[in-house]
Amino acid sequence: MEMGGGAAPPQGQQQPPPGAAAEAAAAPRPAAERLNAAVVQQLNLESVKTRALGLDKAISRILGDFDAYARANSSPKWQDVIGQFSMVSMELFNIVEDIKKVSKAFAVYPRNVSAENAAILPVMLSSKLLPEMEAEDNTKREQLLYGITNLPIHTQIEKLKARIDMIGSACEAAEKVIADCRKAYGLASRQGPSLVPTLDKVQAAKIQEQENLLRAAVNFGEGLRMPGDQRQLPSSLPSHLVDVLSFGDNTQNFGDNSGVYSKNTPAFTSNAVNNQGTPIQAPGAQQIGRSAPSPSGVSGTGNFDNASTPPMPYANSPRSSTNMMNTPSPQQQLQQQLQQQQQQRQKMMQVPSQHQQQLHSQQQLRPSSTPGVLGQSTMSQLHDLQGQAQQKLQQLPGQHQMQYSQSLSQHFQNRQMQSMQQNMAQNQLNQGSQLRSHLSQFTGAGNNALLNAAQASPNSQM
Amino acid sequence: MECVVQGIIETQHVEALETLLQGLCGAPKERVRVHELCLKSGPNLGVVPSEVRLLCDLALPTPTWTVRHVGGAVRGAAAEQICVQVRQVTESKASNNVLRFFYALGYKLDHELLKVGFAFRLQRGAQITVTVTSAYKMPKLHSTDEAVLITPSIQLVEITAPAAADNYNEVVSAVTSLCEHLAPLLHLSKPGVSTGIVPTAAAAAASLMLNSGGKTL
Repeated sequence: MEMGGGAAPPQGQQQPPPGAAAEAAAAPRPAAERLNAAVVQQLNLESVKTRALGLDKAISRILGDFDAYARANSSPKWQDVIGQFSMVSMELFNIVEDIKKVSKAFAVYPRNVSAENAAILPVMLSSKLLPEMEAEDNTKREQLLYGITNLPIHTQIEKLKARIDMIGSACEAAEKVIADCRKAYGLASRQGPSLVPTLDKVQAAKIQEQENLLRAAVNFGEGLRMPGDQRQLPSSLPSHLVDVLSFGDNTQNFGDNSGVYSKNTPAFTSNAVNNQGTPIQAPGAQQIGRSAPSPSGVSGTGNFDNASTPPMPYANSPRSSTNMMNTPSPQQQLQQQLQQQQQQRQKMMQVPSQHQQQLHSQQQLRPSSTPGVLGQSTMSQLHDLQGQAQQKLQQLPGQHQMQYSQSLSQHFQNRQMQSMQQNMAQNQLNQGSQLRSHLSQFTGAGNNALLNAAQASPNSQM
Repeated sequence: MECVVQGIIETQHVEALETLLQGLCGAPKERVRVHELCLKSGPNLGVVPSEVRLLCDLALPTPTWTVRHVGGAVRGAAAEQICVQVRQVTESKASNNVLRFFYALGYKLDHELLKVGFAFRLQRGAQITVTVTSAYKMPKLHSTDEAVLITPSIQLVEITAPAAADNYNEVVSAVTSLCEHLAPLLHLSKPGVSTGIVPTAAAAAASLMLNSGGKTL
């Protein structure tokens, strides 16, 4: 073990090596830099050096012996080797013990000398700071004494003491927190968590309730569904929805209870063109889900093929085929007028315009398209229709029956009408203007009022 | 597929949780402000109604829409063992007429909610996202400006990690280890399983805030 590095300029005296180096430094250092004299005495550097050198010699001698053994290819006596080893280790132990006694004055790193740090060890042992470290030290000292350097020394000392006390108290607080946490988590004791803070029952119950509310709301939407009367689009939509949902969008599309899915599934191809979500109460249709989306809206208009079957079969569907097979009979000419008026009414109802507003207006105009020729039954039916259109609510069972009776009567009247309607429906290319032209035809006195009222309804498109 | 766990935390401890997550994550938090519209399919799309969620991210200057469908969870004995739910999820970005589109398809608005909070993305064996949000309901339709907190004192913590069918075990273990890290502050469990709050949360939060209080002298 080389202690030579410890004495930078090799001195035989018992001067602390750093002392010499420190004195060599330009800046005068306070006397505290020197090692404590007692430490020096105890350390007895000189003797340590001697002993270390002696130990080194002994070890090299032993190694030489081993070398000789190896070359001679003979094995040494085990007892001798053990004896020598123990002697060497004892000596080392003594040296280390002596140094340990004074090691509080030093901090030694690295702890052991090895090949890689033997070269750097002298530099490390030197207690003169590197220039950068020295500068850093100076700045730190300035920082520390900032503001109080001008005060007398004892004041400085007091202030520093106060700071130290503060730090001490902060450390104590931190230790306390650590101890508390240890207790809380049961880390300190081996028996496991013992002091687990518990909530009182009331608080726990409240929190449980809140939690259930939150989880249900986020995962399943409980408590967030709005009743129908509140589901009107507000006049001012947030910015990200303004472009998405246009004004007058009746596509509220609120899912009702899932059971209410009516059978107004989209049937006519015309329905595809129909605007969306118009809550048209199609005559003859069964219950429509409130504001059901487009196809279901206009379904069943006059498809009175079979009162009990759901309306709105597709044009190609098996159901409609029965209509298709109803070839026009001579009856057709007789009731052609009736048909045409019926057609008009159907057209009105099936409003396949692209604009919902048009549809809206058309809904209301629909009842007005009733030609007077249709009998009383149809008139009443149309009144019902008007009511339905304006309500935009689910149909009541009474109305439902009304439609059925209407459908039956229609059924008896004319099947070709249905087929004609279907054809018409299939060929629909209605524009709003077309519709208006049709509307203009109906000038029945009783309808005027309706017409005017309908036209007065707010509708930008019209 | 994704692995997901949910938990709740009291609002007073959210800051501590944020500090903890910041330490675990390293990257700054991301703001979360999402308007979630849940749509249910109409009758024309089948007998069984399906659910689709449209998420509009309002945190960015231009709102971006995402379509999300949450499928069923993995079931079975293995699923019972783990405390993480693994479920099918399909997600996609969409243009901003996606709402109209779904309405046209026949979907209807079932409910909507607004989530505001923050999120951290971590990489710990898997890409994990931790989202801490408070949920708002809207008294009037689409009125995000007038949203009201559903539970003022409790916020929802959700940890999600995408997974594939063949590697979800690793993702599950990554998520579970993260849950253990957060154990002093909150309990996490499968969605729908209620956990309650953790009794040590207050002490843990206090210690976290003390640590992060700074070293000024």
